[in-house]
Order: sequence, then structure tokens, then C-alpha cells
Amino acid sequence: MSRAFMSIDILVQVVLSGLLLGGIYALVAFGLSLVYGVANILNIAHGTFLAISGVVASLIYGATGWHPLLIIPALVVPVFIFGYLFHAALLRPLASRGKHEETIGTVLITTGALIMLSDVAGVVAGTKQRNIPVRSEILEFGDIFVSVTQLWILAGIVALTIALHLYLKHAWFGRAVRAVTQDPLGAAICGVNASSARALTFAAGSGLVAVAGVLYAVVYPVDPYMGFSLTVRAFTIIIIGGIGNLAGTMVAGVMLGVAESLTAFYWAPKWAPVISVVLLLVILVVFPRGFGSWRRT
Amino acid sequence: MAADVTSKSATLIGAVAAAMALTALPLLVNAYIVSFVFALLIAFVIAQSWDWVNGLMGYLNLGHYAFYGIGGYAFALLLLQGTPLVPSFAAAVFFAALAAAVLSLPIFRLKGDYFAFATLTIVPLCELLASNLSGLTKGSEGVTLPPNYVLIPAYYIASALALATFATTLYLMRSRFGYAMRAIRNDEQVAEVSGIRLFPVKVITLALSAAFAGLAGAVQAWQFSFIDPYTMFNIGIALVPIASALLGGSGLLFGPLVGVVLLASLQQVLLVKLNMLQGAIYGLVIVLIGRFLPGGLLRWRAVADSAAFGSLSRESHFETPALQGGSRGDALPLRVEKIDRARVVLECRAATMAFGGNVAVREVSITIRQGEIVGLVGPNGSGKTTLFNLISGAYRPKSGKIFVDGFEISNFRADEIAGLGIGRTYQIPRPFGELTVRECIAVGRTFGRARASLFDAMQSAEVFARFVGLENRLETRADLLSLQEKKVLELARALACEPRLLLVDEVASGLSTVEVRKFVEHIREIRDRYGVTIIWVEHIFSALSQVVDRLVVLDGGSVIADAPLAEAMRDEKVLKTYLGHAPLEAK
Amino acid sequence: MSLLKVENLSVFHGPLQALWDVNLMVAAGERAGLLGANGAGKSTTLGAIVGYYPALGGRILFEGEDISREPVAARLARGIGLVPEGRRLFTAMSVHENLEMGAYLKAPRRQLADTLASVFALFPVLREKAAQPAGALSGGQQQMVAIGRALMGKPRLLLLDEPFIGVAPLIVKEVMAALTAIAAQGVTILLVEQNIHRALEFVEHASVVENGRTVLSGARAALADDKSFGARFLGLE
Repeated sequence: MSRAFMSIDILVQVVLSGLLLGGIYALVAFGLSLVYGVANILNIAHGTFLAISGVVASLIYGATGWHPLLIIPALVVPVFIFGYLFHAALLRPLASRGKHEETIGTVLITTGALIMLSDVAGVVAGTKQRNIPVRSEILEFGDIFVSVTQLWILAGIVALTIALHLYLKHAWFGRAVRAVTQDPLGAAICGVNASSARALTFAAGSGLVAVAGVLYAVVYPVDPYMGFSLTVRAFTIIIIGGIGNLAGTMVAGVMLGVAESLTAFYWAPKWAPVISVVLLLVILVVFPRGFGSWRRT
Repeated sequence: MAADVTSKSATLIGAVAAAMALTALPLLVNAYIVSFVFALLIAFVIAQSWDWVNGLMGYLNLGHYAFYGIGGYAFALLLLQGTPLVPSFAAAVFFAALAAAVLSLPIFRLKGDYFAFATLTIVPLCELLASNLSGLTKGSEGVTLPPNYVLIPAYYIASALALATFATTLYLMRSRFGYAMRAIRNDEQVAEVSGIRLFPVKVITLALSAAFAGLAGAVQAWQFSFIDPYTMFNIGIALVPIASALLGGSGLLFGPLVGVVLLASLQQVLLVKLNMLQGAIYGLVIVLIGRFLPGGLLRWRAVADSAAFGSLSRESHFETPALQGGSRGDALPLRVEKIDRARVVLECRAATMAFGGNVAVREVSITIRQGEIVGLVGPNGSGKTTLFNLISGAYRPKSGKIFVDGFEISNFRADEIAGLGIGRTYQIPRPFGELTVRECIAVGRTFGRARASLFDAMQSAEVFARFVGLENRLETRADLLSLQEKKVLELARALACEPRLLLVDEVASGLSTVEVRKFVEHIREIRDRYGVTIIWVEHIFSALSQVVDRLVVLDGGSVIADAPLAEAMRDEKVLKTYLGHAPLEAK
Repeated sequence: MSLLKVENLSVFHGPLQALWDVNLMVAAGERAGLLGANGAGKSTTLGAIVGYYPALGGRILFEGEDISREPVAARLARGIGLVPEGRRLFTAMSVHENLEMGAYLKAPRRQLADTLASVFALFPVLREKAAQPAGALSGGQQQMVAIGRALMGKPRLLLLDEPFIGVAPLIVKEVMAALTAIAAQGVTILLVEQNIHRALEFVEHASVVENGRTVLSGARAALADDKSFGARFLGLE
């Protein structure tokens, strides 16, 4: 092997890009974690929400040249509303069914949405990969190159995570969300309207994914069909990090991002996506109920 | 019964007619239609074989399509290397079934959402492997077979496969094995307590469904002479057969067939009429099924009640000829145990069970002799049901030992313990809701210690039903019974397993005084006439006091008294913990 | 006028009927009891009063108004609080957060600091444990959190569902004393209990349910003198 291939500088470079990737994965996973923990819905289309958000963000950027920071709010609001309506119209009514039928209904509705959204986006925007080509200065630290944009994104992810953490910890509604996750009946007798908490959480989870979609498109190419593999990653991450556990989710996300980055560079990019699937299967098998902070069954 | 004979021969006539129509079709229509019907047949095989796992056994396997892909790949790669056709097909079956069997070990540890999601990830995993292991699979470029026009032979193979799939479904719905699957779908724990060994049933079912899907994949690959990772493992396509089965009505004999025909026809129409957005409409249809038709079209009331389609909606239940006059007596067909009061049936030695830090059963030592009726009482949370779960094998003791007839059973599975003759009922009745009363009882009879043939079990179920007063509800679905009826069905099912020791968990609450008295009589008769030993958990003392020989009192997971009823009721400790601070003055 | 009146209440759990005909009257300021064996329908009755289980038939009157169609939050806002069976705490949240969740609705939220101080005064041990996760507490302490959480909502009617299960005997006395103190502050209490002697030590008036129906009710003195009461209750004939 060549010296460059083995050098520390390159390793640092690869780990850094893994950090960035993992941070975005963690954002996607936060959304899924909230939705799964509170609304008890395994949204198979979750990653597709990101893919579509990324594609739309890139279209907006192409048409207007807006700064991504401006695109985020322009996108988050409609996606939030979409998430709310999607839950209210399609998923909420499932709660009155038996367990098996509820699972089947959830799976069908969210996969149907996956197929539909990808296809519509594919027809409207084309199937090709696109991104948000923001120009960025490059900082050099010795032999390590870091783009300023990427640093801003990392900082943004950290800030967003802290904000989310503080909100869930201290805001009344944030606490209500945690309460519903831990004990829906207990929350109900405190006056929390579980049904609206679930719809709002689904909306918020979708909104978070829209943010992640914009950030993703700034760094990596997006296409309408890439969604499911992101859902798998997000699910792997929350199973490792613990549902409703933000710190654990962040750590798990970063670990997965770095692992994929290392695999892609030192082995082959095509093997990177295999990690999350294999990891997920292995973890589910070793810990059939998941681990980390776990809801009461 | 005449009606059954007609329905049976109608099925037969239908099958022969279908076979003849399928045979004649290529002579009558053009290749376009033949290829459409071919696609339909393949889709039916995938959807129906998937439904064995979901509709019959209750596991939502979202990765079924992967077996189709594995079969296709195994076939194509072997054929390309010069393997003859038939062994290549055989290899497709073998590898798909093997993959399923290997996967069974881990994935059946999962339940519900987790099972569904874990199986769903198998499809993209296979796609990645097929693309990445390019040395073996030719990677993302796919495998191209020598171009031969094989539509007609492929069509005939697909026809035979589809007929075999339908026949297998018919068989599964009426066989002993099929009842094991349906019991698992309805309540896995009760299935195990009724004597069904779960794992082999699950593995065989999954492997069987994979084998059919794998062969379907091979036939498809042969006909199309090209496969690649995207077509064989596409997550968008992978869920379509599942959606078809659910659209028609999962678990119904004609459900997957109807769903496949409808959805495939819709797809054809869309292909012709639209040049874009087919996927979107397809997705929309799937969303709408999920939202509005949880049980499928055939369970939709408008369809089920219609004269034209109502017969397609019928659930499949066992058709049992009436009992012959000779066996109409009211004696239960149980082996009568000669009571030997010296013989120890059950012994718990310092049995302990803890959940996390919470010790639910603490060093419980009890001895139960043959022919005894023992009352097991204690306040809420004192460990009574946990003790039952330990004895019946739902839990393994954390420490201590449990013996049946002197054999240690501490590490036995629940079905093995059932086979030794330990039966139990549940406090909240847990009947197999989708089965009829007759079938619920027969499951106990055929898988429990009696090991009766399915036919005998279905017949003798009637005697057990009559014993508990359910003789007029034999053909009623168990989930439609009232609470009282469900409670006595619990007893009938447990008895049908032919137990020597019967664990009865809280029956009287929720029953009227008259019903309780009747129940007490049943308990007495089961012991006196058939020699069954009984442990009865009950809160209602009046019920216990009429029949028990002895009372075991639990508190905080420990035995605080073990004595004849009258003596236990005078025990200071018992009165204090169980009834309150002072002994009852009322007398 | 009675504070709470339940008339001919019937409730279904899915397809199964759990309550047929429950009747109940609790006067303002009273310590009332709802007694009965396991599975008789006591918890379901409390769940229906607070609105967690929908009432299919009958009426639930609170201060003379029918509340049986109102959502849970509206009933809590009227002044009903529940200490549920099994406590139902948020085990991963701190004791402090659990208590604050009890004041989730607007009105009690405004008086949060005062109420919290009074709960800590009632259960001093909770002040020491305030920062610990509720799941780490002993059974008795968890029960105190559950009672405290219900009190945070400023209820005028406090429903308690078997608050002594899993509570060590010494702590039972402490909890009982706290309940007496709560009642002395004018909070009406409806206690669900299996243990009649413990219940009769506390309540002034009790109803007995059996198989989802009210079969007996009366003042403590009358029930205690009723020779058949204990026997009927336990079914000891």
C-alpha cells in the first residue's frame, strides 16, 4: 500500500467527513426516534421525506439561488404541515384497530407513500442525482482540507441537537412528548392530549428530516429513490442509541457515519451501505427488544 | 353434511376447470395475453406463498421477495454454467429454502414491527450483495441467459406451480400443520402451552413459502432470460405481491388470488393508458388499502354479503361430520388416572423468578400429590400467576427446581411440559379468536398429551364443548363468545390437552353465582371422575371453599401458609396480610 | 349535593363488557371507598370517571353536570385527579419532572411553585429525591410521587386506585397519614381497595362492586356492623 493511503492526515480527513455524514444521519434518526417513540409509527417513508426535501431544495436553489439557510425555513414549514396532515388523515385512524391490522396498515400506508412520493418526484424533477452546489472556501490545516460550509453544517447540527435537547427537557410540550413516550396513560391523566401530541410529533419529525434533507443536498448528491436506505440507517441508529435518547442517537449516528466513511475509503464505497443493514440485523438478533433507554412494553 | 360435500366437490370442479382453462389458453389467444397471464401466475405464487407466513401464521414478512430473487439468481447462474434445466430449477428451490431456514434462526426472535422491519431490510441487503459480489453474480450488469423463446413452456410450468400453490393452501388450511400455524397466529404462548412446538412450524412454513417464491423467481428468470439486482430485489416492486394479498384479503383461500388479479389488471391498464406516474397511482392504491381495507376487499361487508362474491369471502374452517351415535355419551374421552394419594405429581423446590430487581416468586417450595385440589391464593402481585408461568414453562426459574413425577422440568419448553400432561387456563381468556370453538378445543386435543388425529380431535371436541355447555356454539368463532363462554372455553381447551395436572387461573371473577357453582362442579368432576390433579388460583373464597383440600397462600412471592382450608383461614399471618390487620369478626 | 354521581355506568373493553351497572355517589369533602374483588371493575370505573375509558351507557355527573362525553383534559380541568393502578410514572424522568407534569394544564401551571412546595411538605422524602429518576425509587416512594403528581393538578376530587400495592407495611402508614392530611385540606377522596379492613379504617362511606355492578353501599358504621358484609365481600359464606 502506498504511504498516502495509510497516512494519519488522510485518516483524519476520512473521519472528518464521516463525522459530517454521521451528524446528518443523526438528524434523520432524531425525527424517526420521535415519531416511533411517541406516535409508535415505524415510518418506512421517513428517509424518502429526506430525499424529496433534498431534491426540492436543490430545485429551489437552481431556480432562485437562495442561500440554503433561506431554503430551510421555506421547506420546513410545508413539510411540517404535510407531516401533520399525513398523520391526521392516514395514520391516526389506524389506532382504533387491532395490533396486527395496525402494523399492516402502517406498513402499507408508509410504503405506499414511499412509492408514490418517489415516483412523483422522479417525474417532476427527473431521476438524476442533483445537489446544492454552494461555493465554499477551503481551510487547510497542514495536509487536511476542510470546507467552511461543512464546518458550518457541523456547527448547525450540534446547535440544533442542543436546542432540541433543551426543548424536550424544559419546554412543557417537549416534556409532554417524553411523557407520552414513557407512559401514554400516565401522560393522559396529566392532561396531555396524546392524539394531538402524536400528530405534532409526526409533523416535527418530518420537519427535522426536511432540515436534514437540505443539509444533505449541500454535501452529497440526492435523488428521489435514495430514501429507503436512509430509513434503514436511521432505524439502525435509534436501535443502537435508544429510542428517545438524543445523546445516544447522536453518538450512534456519528459512529455509523465514520464507519461508512472508513469502509468507503479503505475498502470500497459499494460496501458502505451494507454496514447499517448488517449491523441492524445483528443488533436485533442479539437484543430482540433493542437496547439503550427503552420504552416500557 | 351435504353442504360440505357440495363445497368440496365445487372446489374440485373449480380446480379441474382452472387447470383445463390454463392448459387450453395458449392455443386460443396471442402471446401478449399469454405473457400477461404468465405474469399473473408468477405474482399469484409469490403473493399466496407470502400469505402462508402472514395470513396463516401471523408473521408480517416484508422480505419475501428476496426469496424470489435468490431463486432467480441461483437458477440463472447455474444454467449459465451449463447445468441442465431441471437441476437448475431444483437448485432455485433449494437455495431459497436454505436462505429461509438460515434466516429463521435469528428473525423469529423478533415480533410485530421489529419482525416486519428486519425482514424488509433483507431485500436491500440482497440487492447490495448481488451488486457487490460481482465475481459471483456479475454485479449490477445482471445475468443474461442465452436468448431462447420459452414463453409457452415457462407458462406451463408457472401454471403447474400456481395450481400447486393453491393446492398447498387448501391443504394447509385443513391440515394439522395448518392448525398449528393458525394457533401461532392467534396466540403464540397459548399455542405452545397447548403442546405445539413452535420453532419447527415457523421454520418449515418460512422455508416452504421461500421454496415456492424461489421457483417462481427461477421460472421468471428463464422466461425473461435476463435478471439484475434491481429487478430481482427492488424495494418498490418487493411489496407489490404483499399489497396484492392484503388487497384481496390475507388469510382467506381466495384472498391473494383476487388481489393479484385486480392489482395486476390495474397495472396493465395503467401501462396502456399512462406513460408516467404509474408508480404514483400504484402507491396510492397501496395507501388506500392500508387506510380503508385493513382486512382486504373480500372482508369488506359489501363484498362479503353479496350473492355473487360472498362465497369467495368465506373463512376456511374444518368441516366435521357429526359424531356417530356410539360416541355420543357424556363421558370425556380422557384416560382415567387411578388416584394414588401418595404419589407426588408436582414439586417445586425453592423456585425463584425475578424480573430485573423485582423478585416475583421467592424460593417457593410446594408439593402437590395426585388427586388433590389445591387452592392458591394471595393478594394482587403476590406471584400466583408467575408461579403458574414457571410450572407451565412460560418462564424458566432463575433458581430452584421444578419436578413433575420426579423428573426435573425446570428447563423444559412449554410444549414439552404440556406433553407431560400439565394443562393451564388463563385468567383473562385467551382463545384462538379466529378459530371456531370446535377448532380451539381440537387444537388442544391434537397437539396436547392426547395427540389425537385432527379428524378425531375435531369430532371429540364436541364432547368437551358439551361438558362446559358450549355445544350450541361449536361453529362460532371464539372471539365472538361472551366473557363467560370464553372462560369455560379455556377450561375445555385445557382439558382437551388431557392434563394430569390442571392449573386453573382465576375463573370465578366475572361469573355469576350460579355460573361459579357450575364451575365448581366441573372442577370436582374433573378430579373425581378422571383423576386430574388441580391447582386453582382464585380470589373468591366461597368458590374455593366448596372444593379445595388445601390452601397455599402466597405473599410477596413467598409461601406464607400451606394448610387445609379451615386451618389456613385461622392463620394469623394469612389474615393479616391477606385480609387486613384484624381477623374477621363476622360469624 | 353530591360532588360525584355515577349512574348506571356501562363500559366496554373492545368487544367485552367490563361494567354493566355501576352506581356511585360521593359527597363533597367525603372520604369514600370503592371496594370489590379482583376484576370486579373498580379500576375500570375510575378510568371511566376520568375519561380514559369511554362510557357506553349511563351518566357521570360532576357537580351536577354530565361529564361523561368530555375528553380527559376537560375533566381534569374541572378538578378530578387520578392516582392510577400501577402508578404509571414517567420512570426515566426525574421526580421533579414527574411532579411538574402533574401541573400540565393551564390553571395548575400558574400555581406550580406553591403546589410543589405543599407536595414536598406532605412527602419530605420527595424533596431529597427530586433529581433522581422516578424509576429508581422504592415502591412506596413511587406511590408518593404518583399521589403528588395527581395533587399537582389541584384536584377537588382525588381518585386513588389501590395505592398500597407494592408498598412496604411501614410506608403504608405514612401514605395513609398523608391521605388523611389531604382529606383534611378539603379534598374529596375516592379510594379503591381490595383490603376491606384497611379501607374501612379510612373511608366514611363505601360502595362494593361485584362483576361490574354495584351490589352494596353504605356508611362505614353500617358496613362494619353488617355481619354479612365481610362475608359477602370475600364471598365467605
